[in-house]
Amino acid sequence: MLLAPYTFRNLCRARELLAESPEEHLSVKYIAREVAISPYHFIRQFEAVFGTTPHQFRIQSRLDRAKLLLAMGERSVTDVCMEVGFSSLGSFSDLFTRRFGSSPSVYKRRARSMVQVPGNFPQALFPGCLSLMGALPASAFRNFQEAPPSLLR
Amino acid sequence: MRIKLTSLMVDDQDKALKFYTDLLGFRKKHEFPVGAYKWLTVISPESPEDIELSLEPNANPAAKTFQKAMFDQKIPLAAFEVGDIEKEYAKLAASGVVFTTKPTQMGPVTIAVLSDTCGNLIQLYQPTM
Repeated sequence: MLLAPYTFRNLCRARELLAESPEEHLSVKYIAREVAISPYHFIRQFEAVFGTTPHQFRIQSRLDRAKLLLAMGERSVTDVCMEVGFSSLGSFSDLFTRRFGSSPSVYKRRARSMVQVPGNFPQALFPGCLSLMGALPASAFRNFQEAPPSLLR
Repeated sequence: MRIKLTSLMVDDQDKALKFYTDLLGFRKKHEFPVGAYKWLTVISPESPEDIELSLEPNANPAAKTFQKAMFDQKIPLAAFEVGDIEKEYAKLAASGVVFTTKPTQMGPVTIAVLSDTCGNLIQLYQPTM
């Protein structure tokens, strides 16, 4: 599919609307109208460009924001849940756990123990990510010279 | 000093591995779990000794901001050389890959730009001179 320039701009704008203003709860249909694409084509084109549906993207954006707020350690899990736009603490906790591998409260405790200067996050919380190389086994570096056939697919 | 490794930030490493192997045709070279993320690299089967591409998680908020700004400005974050850009364009477009630029002559190269579905625009190029 070749995307027209105005459609590209509109999809980028839609992505912003989905990520912003959780308190407004803009519906996917409303956002599609805002960017002048029919809801059917909007969902299809958004997924083709961003690899996720608008709804999934919004959930992901909220979880990412929640993670950041929890790492800052100033708000309770319930406050963070409401602030990023979830209405149910249970579904927030469930989605957060599935996405990040630990519950919001466990993540918050772990993050607080690692953050020594407020607002200054250690790489372990938000790796950026050639630093991950430091956690590899030595065999990985031998393999850099030549990949064993079993690792190729 | 040698250039053996470069990297791209991706919003989801599993999705990225699928896109870069199943659609672009690269091969996985390394996949090591590191905490909640992976050390994940791919290579080109056409030139496996050239360079490894690390598909990094863009978990860092600064990385997300940078990646989004570059995408919105239509700036590709990587470029891959191809032998026949018209053929690649036709094959990938038929597979559902979204292009923002169709094959276009620009000086000594023909380029096309696609979305990798992981937050990046990727430029394909074929030297024509």
